[in-house]
Amino acid sequence: MADSSWSKHMADALRRNGIRLFATVPDYIVSHVLEHLWADRECTVVTACREEEGLGLLSGAYLAGKRGALLMQNSGLGNCVNTLGSLNVASQLPVVLVISHRGDLAEFNPAQVPVGQATERILDALDIRHIMPRSIHDLEAQADGLIKLGYARSLPVAFLLPAELTGGKLG
Amino acid sequence: MTRATATRVLAERLTSEVVVSNLGQATLDLQRLGDRGLNCYTFGAMGQCSSIGLGIALARPDVRVICLDGDGSLLMNLGSLCTIATTAPKNYALVIWDNEVHQTTGGQPTATAFRSSLVGIAKGAGIEKVLEPKDEDELRRACDRILTEDGPFVVSVKVEKGRAEGTLDRDVIGYKLRFMKALSALPQPAAAP
Repeated sequence: MADSSWSKHMADALRRNGIRLFATVPDYIVSHVLEHLWADRECTVVTACREEEGLGLLSGAYLAGKRGALLMQNSGLGNCVNTLGSLNVASQLPVVLVISHRGDLAEFNPAQVPVGQATERILDALDIRHIMPRSIHDLEAQADGLIKLGYARSLPVAFLLPAELTGGKLG
Repeated sequence: MTRATATRVLAERLTSEVVVSNLGQATLDLQRLGDRGLNCYTFGAMGQCSSIGLGIALARPDVRVICLDGDGSLLMNLGSLCTIATTAPKNYALVIWDNEVHQTTGGQPTATAFRSSLVGIAKGAGIEKVLEPKDEDELRRACDRILTEDGPFVVSVKVEKGRAEGTLDRDVIGYKLRFMKALSALPQPAAAP
């Protein structure tokens, strides 16, 4: 059984690295992180209609001096590919991606599987550094370093959240 | 009215506002007719101009932000109008140069050449201040409003077809750094206690 406190650890990692602005198209899994952010009066969460719109918004905020994170499902990563490449990577605009990893171990929905299996290769193809923490210990050991690298490199970084960490979605 | 004429009308009124311009024609006109540090040129990610401006407006509520978008690009990201209406920043205006074609790719008609109205879509998205200036005088008055009144505004301007003159300067990183420096140099009011 996954430890349900993973979502607070994820939210805390983002907040302690100076992130207060969040964009999202929610899914069942990242909503657990969003609950902590919605409840925090210092945080602003904008629900976008489509994930790449969130990237545009957070990129603008970065230009204005604010760090941001985009919370979404990996299907949303599919929607973001061109904007990640031609905006964030081309213009060196860092953003933290928090992506629930559907379509992998224990997936029940066949429609989630193709993009789920392609997710890491999509990130690799765009040269976006990513981690896939399988436990809270992994998450805590790598989260600060990943975010620090993203802003040092001025490029997006991604947390891929697997079912081993989150408990997934059981159908 | 040409897009260049419309760009000049806006550019001559600017002081300390941020202007975010859409890739291609809007950016080229703005580079040529009103280049300044507070211009945020975009060069890729078609459709994202209005969203980038929204992010700047939310991060810097003390600075007025004007986006110069195109009809083809906004049609790729219509959800942005809903997010603008929902977040409703007072310091935000989206100006659409609507020439009813995909100009950069050779002038193929967009949906606004046929039955679709971006004014109607913006109103349907929930934006209350939607302006539709028909000539230069009306555009001057619309610009004066977006530079002084609380928004958010959407201003749809039908402009003539035609490519911008000159050649785009694609110093993507150079312009980004110049913009960040110019914006961070604008004094920010102290945060409320």
